[in-house]
Amino acid sequence: MSRFTLDQEIRLVQDEILLLGSLVEQAILNSVDALQRRDTTAAQHVCENDRKINAKHHAIENHILITFATQSPLAGDLRFLAAMLEVNTELERIGDYAKGIAKVAIHLADTDFPIPMHEIQQMADLATSMLHRSLGAFVAEDTIAAHSIPEEDNQVDELYERIYRKIVEAMIKNPDTIDSGNQVAWVIHNLERTADRVTNICERVVFIVSGESVEFDVSDDEPIDE
Amino acid sequence: MKSRFHLRILWPFVLILAVSLAAFALLFPLVQDSVFQRAIETGKQANYIPIFTLVFLILAIGLMIGLLINIYYTNQHLNVLEDLTGAAQELGEGRFREIKIPGDVGRLPEMQELAEALQKTATQTEEQFNALNKQQAMLSAVLDHMTDGVLIADDSGKVQLLNAAAERLFKIENEQANGHSVVEVMRHYTLVELWEKTKNGNPETITMELGSAHKYLQVVGINLEKELPGRTMLLFQDLTQTHQLEIVRRDFISNISHELRTPIAGLKAISETLLDGALDDPPAARKFLVHMDNEVDNLTQMVNELLELSRIEAGRSNFEFQRSEPCDLINKAYNRMSLQAEKAGVLLTQECPSDLPKVNADPARIAQVFINLIHNAIKFTPAGGHILLSAWQDGDKVVFLVQDDGVGVAKKDLKRIFERFYKADRARAGGGTGLGLSICKHIVDAHGGHIWVESIENAGSQFFFTIPTTAR
Repeated sequence: MSRFTLDQEIRLVQDEILLLGSLVEQAILNSVDALQRRDTTAAQHVCENDRKINAKHHAIENHILITFATQSPLAGDLRFLAAMLEVNTELERIGDYAKGIAKVAIHLADTDFPIPMHEIQQMADLATSMLHRSLGAFVAEDTIAAHSIPEEDNQVDELYERIYRKIVEAMIKNPDTIDSGNQVAWVIHNLERTADRVTNICERVVFIVSGESVEFDVSDDEPIDE
Repeated sequence: MKSRFHLRILWPFVLILAVSLAAFALLFPLVQDSVFQRAIETGKQANYIPIFTLVFLILAIGLMIGLLINIYYTNQHLNVLEDLTGAAQELGEGRFREIKIPGDVGRLPEMQELAEALQKTATQTEEQFNALNKQQAMLSAVLDHMTDGVLIADDSGKVQLLNAAAERLFKIENEQANGHSVVEVMRHYTLVELWEKTKNGNPETITMELGSAHKYLQVVGINLEKELPGRTMLLFQDLTQTHQLEIVRRDFISNISHELRTPIAGLKAISETLLDGALDDPPAARKFLVHMDNEVDNLTQMVNELLELSRIEAGRSNFEFQRSEPCDLINKAYNRMSLQAEKAGVLLTQECPSDLPKVNADPARIAQVFINLIHNAIKFTPAGGHILLSAWQDGDKVVFLVQDDGVGVAKKDLKRIFERFYKADRARAGGGTGLGLSICKHIVDAHGGHIWVESIENAGSQFFFTIPTTAR
């Protein structure tokens, strides 16, 4: 009987995590959209939505802790719940990145800095697609996907490099834009970090299935430091 | 169950009784003689043992025969029952077969009737089953081939049905979806909220953009309480294409308003100046009139291009195909545009091998393609630049090239420049309707050819198009 309830609790938490994931995914896409359209209202909306994300993060944390206390999960269930606790935190951080991008969007709305929007959109699409699939791999305990998704981080890093160079060129051409250029650098930094967080989620998938803590061979440093 | 007695089953008993009585009647005189004869002769009391033995033997044999008959028939009936039970079980499992009724079951008509009833049930069930199957196949064919996604979930939020379009939309296999939660399948909070509202009896229709694939969806929530209690259905209509068309239309209106406004504003300014007194200064008035004439030419060209494009797009434009020399086509274009190129300080040259096969083309239309392409090349090549027209054979077609060393086309614009009204940002500065390349593409397409562009930003562009040498 209690076994049945534990399963149910795990499914409930899992659904909550997926919902949080979708909120966060949309927040990133909305913030980049606000940046593109230089739409301060939309950006403001992303910032306000972050509160919803934080509240959900806390609710999930509570739910998991109560499940620990009342159900005493073991083995696979224990690993799954523990991993969800961590994924929950990663998602909340990605939500903060979205808020960061939205703030930049507000800051840049009145400037005419040439934002390389095409590449930034590509980067955001790639990062959110990785996030979406990593959560899918998480609930399906799909280690094959968990191993292949972090490889796409290289593409994100390449885009980062390319956009960064464009920003620097624009700043050299017109030093008045240094402030704006720096802000755009924060946007791509946040997107790059989002992809890194996705790598962490993928590592958790391997942990759930095998109990091993792996470290995928993807540099956690920003590529610009190389 | 009502208990009845079937007199019919008494016949073995009656038969045995009759045979026994007959046997007794037949054998009794033999025993009787010897028993009573001896009693008279000896004067002793009669010994009845043989009589008892006879009765006993007849009874024993009768019973034995009765038992054998009983065993035989019971066995027969058991066989038939077994057979019928097997058939009934298979029927329950959905397999239908011909039920064989053993010939001698007829002795018990009830068994026969049971077998026939079972046979009838089987046939009817099979017919209904097939009809249902056919209906089901029809419905699932409709579901799987419709372009709209369909998802049905029960009241606990478990997905019960997901059609092929929805599988593609959510990139999930049916096996992974069936019985899993709506959250796990749809993976979007807006959709989950819509499902909850629909389940609670407040169905809605929403439009939304789905994730990083940027799909525009119209989602309709339908509460199925009446038809299937507890079930909720969501319908997903992919409006991505419509949405893109909407953007193209919006671009068009904003471009065309912008392009029309400029010459009209020019005309208005000039006419006002003329009215305000410039008319009295003939040399100045003449200059203004020349300006007006130019602006009117611009407007006329724009309106003509629009009409031409809508004609070509509607397939109402007549093409007059004829065998044409590729070099003639190039040469005509060269002659018409060389003056304009010279004015812009750009060098226009042509290179055409004389042994090219004739192509099947409408010379006037091809001239239009060349003029549009050269016009663009001049516009985007700074003074001192070079534009080259050339052609060569490639199998059963001739490839034409208009090459410049101008500003080139940005990578992100390459895919879209043949779209109607599409203008790379820089093009706006140069004026034009954003229709020229779109017209080129339509003309080349109508010839059965292909047009494409290769370009490096700040190094120049190469516009290629092919025209078949054979008639279509």
